[in-house]
Amino acid sequence: MADPIISLDHVSRVYDMGRMHVPALSDVSLQVHPGEFVAIVGPSGSGKTTMMNILGCLDRPTSGGYSLDGTAVAELDDNSLARVRSRSIGFVFQSYNLLPRTTALDNVATPLLYQGVSRKERATRARAALERLGMGDRLDHEPTELSGGQQQRVAVARALVTEPAIILADEPTGNLDSHAGAEVMALLHELNATGRTIVLITHDAEVARAASRQVHLRDGQIVA
Amino acid sequence: MSLRELLRLSFSRLRTSRLRAALTMLGVIIGVASVVALVGVGQGTTSNITSRLAGLGTNLLTISPNGGGGSTSKLTIEDSDAIAALPTIAGVAPEISTNATVSLGRTSTTTSIIGTTPAYPTVLAYDLYQGTFLTDASLASDLRVAVLGATTATNLGITASDLGTQISVGGLPFRVIGILNPKGGTGFQDPDDQVLVPIGVVQKYFVGGDTVRTIGVSVSDPDEMTAATATITALLRDRHDLAATDTADFNVFNQTQLLAAASSISATLTLLLGGIASISLVVGGIGIMNIMLVSVRERTREIGIRKAIGARGRDILAQFLVEALTLSLLGGLIGIVIGLIVSAGIGQLAGWGFVFNPITIVAAVLFSLAVGVVFGVWPARQAARLDPISALRYE
Repeated sequence: MADPIISLDHVSRVYDMGRMHVPALSDVSLQVHPGEFVAIVGPSGSGKTTMMNILGCLDRPTSGGYSLDGTAVAELDDNSLARVRSRSIGFVFQSYNLLPRTTALDNVATPLLYQGVSRKERATRARAALERLGMGDRLDHEPTELSGGQQQRVAVARALVTEPAIILADEPTGNLDSHAGAEVMALLHELNATGRTIVLITHDAEVARAASRQVHLRDGQIVA
Repeated sequence: MSLRELLRLSFSRLRTSRLRAALTMLGVIIGVASVVALVGVGQGTTSNITSRLAGLGTNLLTISPNGGGGSTSKLTIEDSDAIAALPTIAGVAPEISTNATVSLGRTSTTTSIIGTTPAYPTVLAYDLYQGTFLTDASLASDLRVAVLGATTATNLGITASDLGTQISVGGLPFRVIGILNPKGGTGFQDPDDQVLVPIGVVQKYFVGGDTVRTIGVSVSDPDEMTAATATITALLRDRHDLAATDTADFNVFNQTQLLAAASSISATLTLLLGGIASISLVVGGIGIMNIMLVSVRERTREIGIRKAIGARGRDILAQFLVEALTLSLLGGLIGIVIGLIVSAGIGQLAGWGFVFNPITIVAAVLFSLAVGVVFGVWPARQAARLDPISALRYE
């Protein structure tokens, strides 16, 4: 089997709340291989969000090692973490998190801006990503002019446009009705079928069932 | 990120909140406009004084009777001749003046008739435009000849080709022998509206008596001004038989010195006014900082998103700093335009025209840039330091 794309090695994350130390993750090890579709499932308070922050390079583990796409990221400084996020991770959030008052095209093009891609190439690639997700006729729409399902499609396009090593989806269907949610899940499946690695974080066992592998978190530990 | 990308981001942001951007800029606009306008007006005043200084004549001392009123004057042509005999004196022009109606045919104008001597143009820095000036010969025989100031010549419709024409001065016929170049200047009195005639003629036909109103003295060396003043004072006291305890019946007056002092006062005032106006510029800068801090707070989530999709701290810093700079620089440019218009308008009213000083413009641009940096950097750092996790969850 190929080298894992994500490798968590005995990772712990302890929040320092003044006098109290609150462990959110304790001694978690996990490997994800290229092309996998992994769902991380757990109720609220299980450490899902902490897991997502660490996997997404928004936070660093208190102890343990994390290597993403061949880079050891546990010890990197803020700027290097930003570079890893830019290059290797595509985020899809529950609340879409599109830039307000910005067209779909510019939203999708923004990650490329931080990679230093030229304006012309940004537009071409952003348009291609949106067309691939069936949003080719909504390029000039701002988020407020789009439905929830359409906004999430734009968000997926934004996650895809940099060709990242993994797509990290945090409750991507949480704010959508069942129909739009099913569409987004189908989309993620489609992407996975073309070889993209997807990590899905959810509390919904139903949604998690769509993944090829499920990792269950409870009280900061992997239970299954 | 390149500056172009940053500017594009910043302008698209300003477009989405036009009213707020305009109000924020207003502070800088008012500040820069008042600095530019006040400094412009101040420099106009200063240059106006300076040009009058240049028109005064070189190293001019003016001797006038003490106590005012022509009748009390004890200065005579003999006094003037005695001064001319002193060392370090380049020229002496006694003057006696009156007002009279001057007419040519049906055209007439009331102007000052000045009786003087051939040294007048040298002492008071006039140039002859056409013809000849008064000569010793015309003085000796009290010829009724006249040299016209540029304004008077225009008023009477006399041009270079009309030399030799007879005009009537106070009812007596005079022959025009010369026209002076305009000296300009915007003083109380137009220095070009006068008729110059031999001094004896004025005494004989218009004023009577043998006293003169003022004596203009040109000193050969500017360093000798003070010494010359003392020598002339001593000489005149002696000639007027004044005891050491008597007050002098005349004044020796260094007008150049006075105007130089006025010029330096005006320059100081310019600085002071500019300084006061720049306080409003600082207030404008605080306005920018305030709005940028609000903006960082409002856009916390946007900052979180940008960081999540790959923006580094310095990208965020640059974005917010460039926004602040755009506000301050745009406000500064608008302020410069308004300030120039205001100072041109005031200059027009005051009569010294439009004084354009590129240094003021450059300084105003640099100052508004500095305002943008100083007051934009702190909010931008706040934005750059936001933790992406909490920023993303910020409602």
